Amino acid sequence: MSAEPILRVRDLSVGIAGNARPILADVSFDLAPREILGIIGASGSGKTVLSRAIVNWLEAPLVVTGGSVAFKGRDILKLSGGAMRATRREIAYVGANPMGALDPTLPVGPQIVEKLHAVAPEIGREDAKRRVITLLDAVRIPSAATRFHDFPSQFSGGMMQRALIVDALVSNPAFLVADNVTQPLDVTVAAQVLRLMRELTVSFDTAIVFISSSLPTACDAANMILVLDEGRVVERQQKDALVANPTHAYTADLVANTPKIWTGTTPPRTPPVGEPVLSVRGASRSYHVRKRGSFAGTSEVRAVRNVTFDVHAGENFGIVGESGCGKSSLMRLLSRLERPDGGQILCEGVDMATLSGRDLLAFRRTVQLVLQDPFGSLPPRTAVGAMIEAPLRIHGLGDSKARRERVVAMMREVGLSPELYDQLPLGLSAGQRQRINVARAMILEPRILIMDETLSALDQAEQFKLLALFETLQAKHGLTYIFISHDMALVRRTCDRVAVMYLGEVVEISRNERLFFDPGHPYSRALLSAIPTLEEKRYRTEDCLLDGEPPNPIDLPVGCGFAGRCPNAFDRCRVESPVLMARGNRDLAACFLVEREAAPVLEEALA
Amino acid sequence: MEILSFLARRIAQGLVIVFLVSGLIFTLLRVVPGDPVRLMAGGMAPEALINEIATKMGLRDPIPIQFMRYMGHVVRGDLGESFVRPANGASTGGSSFDDSTRGARAKVLDLIGETLPMTLQLAGVAVAMALVISALIGIPGGLAPGRWPDRLAFYVSSVFISLPNFWLGIVLTLLLSVKLGWLPAIGYGGFAYTLLPAFVLAVELSPVLIRTLTGSLASIMQEPFIAVGAVRGLSRRRIIANHALRNASVPLLNLLGVQFSGLLGGVLIVEYIFDYPGLGLLTINAVLQRDFPLIQGIAIVTSAIFVFINIAVDLAATMIDPRLEY
Repeated sequence: MSAEPILRVRDLSVGIAGNARPILADVSFDLAPREILGIIGASGSGKTVLSRAIVNWLEAPLVVTGGSVAFKGRDILKLSGGAMRATRREIAYVGANPMGALDPTLPVGPQIVEKLHAVAPEIGREDAKRRVITLLDAVRIPSAATRFHDFPSQFSGGMMQRALIVDALVSNPAFLVADNVTQPLDVTVAAQVLRLMRELTVSFDTAIVFISSSLPTACDAANMILVLDEGRVVERQQKDALVANPTHAYTADLVANTPKIWTGTTPPRTPPVGEPVLSVRGASRSYHVRKRGSFAGTSEVRAVRNVTFDVHAGENFGIVGESGCGKSSLMRLLSRLERPDGGQILCEGVDMATLSGRDLLAFRRTVQLVLQDPFGSLPPRTAVGAMIEAPLRIHGLGDSKARRERVVAMMREVGLSPELYDQLPLGLSAGQRQRINVARAMILEPRILIMDETLSALDQAEQFKLLALFETLQAKHGLTYIFISHDMALVRRTCDRVAVMYLGEVVEISRNERLFFDPGHPYSRALLSAIPTLEEKRYRTEDCLLDGEPPNPIDLPVGCGFAGRCPNAFDRCRVESPVLMARGNRDLAACFLVEREAAPVLEEALA
Repeated sequence: MEILSFLARRIAQGLVIVFLVSGLIFTLLRVVPGDPVRLMAGGMAPEALINEIATKMGLRDPIPIQFMRYMGHVVRGDLGESFVRPANGASTGGSSFDDSTRGARAKVLDLIGETLPMTLQLAGVAVAMALVISALIGIPGGLAPGRWPDRLAFYVSSVFISLPNFWLGIVLTLLLSVKLGWLPAIGYGGFAYTLLPAFVLAVELSPVLIRTLTGSLASIMQEPFIAVGAVRGLSRRRIIANHALRNASVPLLNLLGVQFSGLLGGVLIVEYIFDYPGLGLLTINAVLQRDFPLIQGIAIVTSAIFVFINIAVDLAATMIDPRLEY
């Protein structure tokens, strides 16, 4: 790469008007044609400000206090408004919020045409439209010509991000700034978008500045990585060298804290085989939504379909899947916030759906729930102690003195200072708030604790601390945990057995080791291949996942729900839906390949 | 297809609303004190004659029966005849019961048909004026939140909302018609007679429109797609005209649908002050004369218009923003 760099950033500094402390200080780098440069940094390190500064898109109160951003030899920071707008044809930007990036009241295609027309007025409407449709097709948006007329709300997050990549590339830019583009997406969709961007740099001759808060994602995308810390470039290395020998303390931390899936040293726990405390027997739940364009018609969304599994006493049971797979609906059934409209859920042998009144109240002491959002789940004007005490009052346990003692003891146990007893939760960190939530659930001494994405709002360090707390609580109280999560690394670290959900169904139930080293369902393999990790991957996304998105749960396809994205799908998968089949050692998977695997054994026996 | 099912659903709902409003008005008119037959026949008519006329007109039947009979006529497009107005003009109320000069009584439908276009013209001009005023003051305010155009919009709407319409009507008449002679004011003799009352109504309508437009535009300008528009290479003008105003107009439209009921109230007072021969003036006189069939007819027509306008507004809003569903 001896060519003249496209972008030459020199000593770029950005600050807030009237404030001496810089946000960015003396950032310099070059971007060669077709290069993908990764930039990583913690939140607040100035990544987003940098991404905006190099496309000359800083808004007040941010101002450039020094340095230059030269594009093809011209400092774009000094361009006038009109000249800069013309240059936008060559400089494109894709941000982290695909759903907010286009006007929701206009169709997607015409908005991209509008942009192309604004930066390249010489292209006629018809030509522009044809070009946009060709590109939508190139980023593999199914039936692009029809989708051209769809509104942003009719696109999923992943499709919208592809459409915005089209929006960025439609004018054939020389370089593209991608600011955290995969952050809001599900892992399998993110992996596809990443793959797409790598391909496009080659076919469109576009250089990319790829900004990310995740080191593994940046390493997947780019070869050269720039590390930003407190507004300064603290390290610049080829990705392999960076991971092997990080020189700066922040990078070293980042590398060390990136979760490991396959090379970790955690010895797998032997899952206890106690009595099943929770038995889900063919549970289903559908929701009715008003059908658009009909007088009084409704559509059925089948959120949970025929789910069957047992959770044993003392076990850590994981439920994983991507957004929309039905895991939260299942959580609502397991915690009996709702009743299944088909099948049964037995808790210690009793059908939950039959409970009401006093029995239901008593049942609530067995199963408790900790939710995802540490801010929305706590009443803002109630003192911490009163919050934790509320379940005791509801269940009429103890007098006020005994209750207070129990609350204080519980606060100590989860690592909250008893001084917080009379304080409001204002100003508490997400971690502390989740501890309040855990204390509030634990105060009733439940046997089962359901954790619905409890740790996803927390940073890595805080996650570790809470996980340690969960272990202590489990050892002391003999708890059974059900972790509902989309984070495979977390599941790998905590769960004994894992159920993988796709489109409302459980497609695989396996022990931890088996799931991660020998998954039984192609979807599980696709999920594993898409985990952002620094290790050498056992599975490559290219081999495990076809392009496409999960089907709409309103129009479920005939046959296997995953067939459309599955590289191993064959004719039978498209007509018949597989059920969970045993693959030895109590592991189950809903795939015809499992049956095929088992078949030779049977034939041998017959022969 | 989607639009047809939307219309079918909304019109069905609208008919129910109109039916309920008619029933309510019908019942209320019959339980308030004051016998219309006494007004029709004159103060000196003997009690027996009054009872005879009332029985002949069906006014002594139970209210539900009277109502069903009335609705039966309405469905066939017959809103009945005025109790007091003759077909040839002048009111007959209070004259002698055996006055031979009294001819056939006027059809309610005709009375409304003569005055409704006048009121629709007044209302249309008023809404147009209000929209122009709100756009001129509200858009700059929404684009510069916290700066002087925003404050100007706030002050203007505060002043406008504090002006009583009857006072403004009288002052403007004195100033523009009597002193300066620029605009005609009283009665109706051509389109120019609409301008002054319409302006008074527009001043009454615009404060809420200005506040809504300023607020919704300011919040739309905070949306990510507005900011992203700049980096996508769109000019600020295009962003504002094609995207910001388009999105900000949805709450404005919805508000207009609601404001329309306020407009009907305003029309009563303004038409009375300017002696403008519209539905408002007709309503006032009908109420003063206890002209039951006329009041009912006006109530049905105005509630139907109200329903229709709100369907139109919602339809327009769904056209602008396809995410909305009514």
